[in-house]
Amino acid sequence: MAIDGLIILDANGRPIIQSGYTSFPPAYPLLHIDALNNELAKAPSSGIIDPIIYVASGGGGDMPDGSACCHIQVREMRMLASISGDLDPLVAFAFLQAFHDILQDYFGTVSTVTLKGNFDTVYQLIEEILDSSGHPLTTSPSILRDIVIPPSLLSTLLASLPASAPSVGRSGGPTSLNNTGGAFASPIPWRKVGVRHNSNEILFDVTEEMRAIVGRNGATLASNVIGTIECNSRLSGMPDLLASFSNPNVMAECAFHPCVRLQRWKREQTLSFIPPDGKFVLGEYQYAPPQKVVVNNLPIPVALKPNIIIGELGGSFTVTFTSRMMKAMENVKIEWYLGEDATGAQCTLSGAGSGVGSTGGAEGSWTFDSRKKILRWEIPSMHSSGSRVLRGSWTSKAQVPRPAHAFQIRFELPSYSFSSLKIDHVRLSSETYKMYKGVRMQSCGSIEWRW
Amino acid sequence: MMDSVNLAALTENAARLGMRIQETLHEHTRDLSIARGGASLFDMPDDKNIGRQLEFGSDRERLEAVKRLIALTSKGRNVSNYFPQVVKNVASQDLEIRKLVYIYLLRYAEHEPDLALLSINAFQKDLTDPSPLIRAMALRVLSGIKVPMIGHIVILAIKKCAADPSPHVRKAAALAIPKAHWLDPSQQPTLITVIQSLLQDHSPLSIGSAVIAFESVCPTRLDLLHQQYRRLCRMLVDVDEWGQVNLLNLLLRYARTMLPKPTIAGDAGSESEDLDKDLQLLQSSAEPLFHSRNPAVVLATIRVFYYIGSPSSLCKVVNPLLRIQLTSKETERVVLPYISAIVHEYPHFFSSHYARLLVCTNDPQQVKRDKIKILLNLCTTENHQALLREFIDYADDPDDLVVGDAIHAVGQCAQRVPTCARQCISALLAMIRSRNDTIISNAIVVLKLLVQNQLHENPSERESRSQDPLKIITQLAQRIDDIKHPRARACVLWLTGQYCPSGGGGTIIDGIADWAPDVLRKAAKSFIAEDSIVKTQTLTLAAKLFVLCPSDHRLELLCRYVFSLGKYDLSYEVRDRTRMLTSLLSGVLPSVNGPQPEISMGEGVVLRREQVKKVLFEGKAGTADNTSLTVGHNYLIGTLSLVIGKDMHADSFLPEWLEAGIDPALRENKEDTFTAPALRSIASVSSSHPAGTAGITPIVLTPTNSTPTNTARETWKDLDSFYASDSEQSEPESTSDEHKREGGKEEDDHSDSEEDDSDDDGEESGNKSGEEAERWNSSQES
Repeated sequence: MAIDGLIILDANGRPIIQSGYTSFPPAYPLLHIDALNNELAKAPSSGIIDPIIYVASGGGGDMPDGSACCHIQVREMRMLASISGDLDPLVAFAFLQAFHDILQDYFGTVSTVTLKGNFDTVYQLIEEILDSSGHPLTTSPSILRDIVIPPSLLSTLLASLPASAPSVGRSGGPTSLNNTGGAFASPIPWRKVGVRHNSNEILFDVTEEMRAIVGRNGATLASNVIGTIECNSRLSGMPDLLASFSNPNVMAECAFHPCVRLQRWKREQTLSFIPPDGKFVLGEYQYAPPQKVVVNNLPIPVALKPNIIIGELGGSFTVTFTSRMMKAMENVKIEWYLGEDATGAQCTLSGAGSGVGSTGGAEGSWTFDSRKKILRWEIPSMHSSGSRVLRGSWTSKAQVPRPAHAFQIRFELPSYSFSSLKIDHVRLSSETYKMYKGVRMQSCGSIEWRW
Repeated sequence: MMDSVNLAALTENAARLGMRIQETLHEHTRDLSIARGGASLFDMPDDKNIGRQLEFGSDRERLEAVKRLIALTSKGRNVSNYFPQVVKNVASQDLEIRKLVYIYLLRYAEHEPDLALLSINAFQKDLTDPSPLIRAMALRVLSGIKVPMIGHIVILAIKKCAADPSPHVRKAAALAIPKAHWLDPSQQPTLITVIQSLLQDHSPLSIGSAVIAFESVCPTRLDLLHQQYRRLCRMLVDVDEWGQVNLLNLLLRYARTMLPKPTIAGDAGSESEDLDKDLQLLQSSAEPLFHSRNPAVVLATIRVFYYIGSPSSLCKVVNPLLRIQLTSKETERVVLPYISAIVHEYPHFFSSHYARLLVCTNDPQQVKRDKIKILLNLCTTENHQALLREFIDYADDPDDLVVGDAIHAVGQCAQRVPTCARQCISALLAMIRSRNDTIISNAIVVLKLLVQNQLHENPSERESRSQDPLKIITQLAQRIDDIKHPRARACVLWLTGQYCPSGGGGTIIDGIADWAPDVLRKAAKSFIAEDSIVKTQTLTLAAKLFVLCPSDHRLELLCRYVFSLGKYDLSYEVRDRTRMLTSLLSGVLPSVNGPQPEISMGEGVVLRREQVKKVLFEGKAGTADNTSLTVGHNYLIGTLSLVIGKDMHADSFLPEWLEAGIDPALRENKEDTFTAPALRSIASVSSSHPAGTAGITPIVLTPTNSTPTNTARETWKDLDSFYASDSEQSEPESTSDEHKREGGKEEDDHSDSEEDDSDDDGEESGNKSGEEAERWNSSQES
């Protein structure tokens, strides 16, 4: 009933980091690595595989009868957690996510290179966040930073010197034994005492993502907007903040960081909290549109007009993409899975009226990913109410090609918010300094358009 | 005076500047870390140098050596031969070296128990270190070394640390308990006393670990929780997220075992729920956790509401479930089977939310299949139009299994909502015209089921149908050349044979519909190239047609031809079927066995034509579509078994409700009233403790410099009251909270006076009921 162990695999499926697995035979982690690699080898060209893989083992000895391998993808790597018994797999996934967030907090980017370069820190971290009996311990970066010192300039410089240099003593280094007093001293688990910043500032980043499915006839089948409030707090001392919204009722199904006083939110719809230091996710919500929107579905800011003919050994298509926004839209990406047997595609691009095709620039560009069998059409920026056309054809080995019957559209809308949520004011009490406050809104969308 | 102030300000600024510079440089070095020594350390080979460095090197060399060992371990190499040299570094003054040595020790101590004993002294010394970090770490490594010889040392250490002023050390003590139990199971009683004291801990930090210890050492001793139950409920919000998951599961088990089941007192018209006060307490304390950002916590809360909730609060699980489903692709995969299990019981909960569960093209296969299953169970007369359209869309999916599920769902739709049967059938007929093999074959299999069920309905009902099922069979039979998939071909052949007589006779051959014999002719022609299921169905079709009209010469010839092919087929199934049918027909078609009729003649019973007809045609009433779409499991929500659909053989089970709960008086805790003084005493201990280096007073939730002057707030005892209190304006609310608390105290005071007298009795009955529960639990397990 616990997480048996943790493994990080590189792009080739070889382990980089592997936790103790002390209560299991050495074959157990290998079985899990094999199971994942086999599954990856069998994966369809889209590369999507089941995030939970059942691992049968012959039993015997300390080997669990059956276990499962829960894995997430991080860039080119896979992080996997082995679980057995009847543990809720959500625990494993929540833990993997927390582990990933911690690594990101420590190393900036999580990649094979940074992990290999800091493997000693990673092992120390694993030791602190996962008990050897498989129970997650503390996953709060603020506490961990006291226990496991993040790689710093000093340690980096020391490490780059030849090890034999006798003059450099380490006793005065940041990790000496005399320096552990700060650890475990904070009264609240998510913030340490004595934080000092030269300039005090707190930044709120509100990102809203629209997820929608549009049917063959162009009618919206499902739509949903999820908002995330991210914070970057650089405030000294123990700041007690109160953030209030001018329209809090657009937020429904909220989830908050443990620092938020839930009673207060329930009563007054304001966020009262002592923030952790640094970056954290303050809360998440779903946009609850006001009553006047009669149909439950929100308007979709884009439109797609596909015209597709499937023939033998391929097909042809004309796709028109139109923005319905008054604002500029950025990084539009339209993806279309052409089916397992697709071999290639040939397209031309054109603007609405111009009719001149070009690959690149404002018109956008298209690529065919022959490994994933995905046709990708990218438009770096779209002005208000513009439209673009992609014409072309694809070839396939199959007599009857089976492309996906939907396009995946992704787009970004800088400084826009679907819910028009507004942070009214942020007040600081319990500290006397002035702080700089900033709020940034942005939105994106990911829409499935069927045909 | 002024100067000193200035100087202080100056030094402070200088210090800040220094930090700033270091931070910026730090950011830059992150990018440079490729060039750092680490990467090369990671790939360095094993050589003799490591041993020498470990033994005689400077601290830096030692550190490098240990790092190299860890890197080698990481690459799967066994480096246990360095154990003697590594152990010598266990008391190193450098914390980083020590930590890495610990990691090494934990991996290899089991193989070198004698050498590992050398390190014990160092850990014992560390247990008295002023820093809680060192104390906790020492205990963790001490308990992690799997050397049975040190069992009693570990237990002594646990006892010592369980009374440590720092909650972090107490947490480490709790986590060490399962390991000590593993080392020496005979120590269980001692450990249980330690667990008992840890469960009384007032710091939310260590509770989660105490629960882990409880679950692994004495999971059936729920009686130990009577006194703590209410306090644990109130503490729930402040426990760390992983602790919340464990605690919620434990409280759920306690409630199922010890509390009365919520019942509905159904008075005419007005329904009132009878909900135990303690059950209500658990629900109200768990409810805020629906707002957690950790999906595992939300799910544990959902479990509490689903398995002990009153009928009216059951629906509260719907929105949180839908919310955590959106968190990531992985959580979606896990949550869908849970939703599916709930939908199986309570379809109406989700029927208005079906739009949140529609299939996307880039979902993984399992997610798509789970979604189709859920949508099908949500199908009602109101939403069937939309859902049917969805299922038809999903039939175009690139994944064959998903296509199969979608088409079966179309068929199921017709059975669940009979008014849309016609739509379903026309959709399926349209699918047969598809160019895709998978779609055709699935559509035919589903059509067969539908047609079969309709034909066996009342004839009066059949009249009302606008689409005659027989017409569908006719259409299918005429398209037999286009139908390639073996299962589908077999289906059509079977339908032809079964229903050709009911077409009201034929014009060419008496008693057989006109289109049927041609199907047999085509099937006979391609017999050799067919799949074995098609062959067996061809044989059956031949037998059926022949029995219907034995006088027709062409049919007899076809029949003989097919039978003789079947007799020498490679597949034993086909040969078997041929044998069975020939002996069945021996009364009607005597010469079918060819040149040696005497072998089969004379033995067994020879059936007359009417009897053969009965055997071949009857008993084929409507069958249910038993695909995986309609099957449910009995696994619990929040278990791996449910998610992967396999029994994981774990002993996790949810106890059934008891008839009546255990006497609530057992849960009265006199300590509730004395919370504040108890806390003060802990605080005083910590201040007098030699370790008081850095204010180890975790109960105080704000540092002293920002504590408001209001004296009433000094009694904050948990995060909850901390949250409730407010530093700027809301005085009334904090008082209201205090009111509540005081109310609670008063209640406890009442009980207190009673309990003081009958204290011993109370404990006895507590044990008794505990024994009862234990006995009962063990009977459940067996």
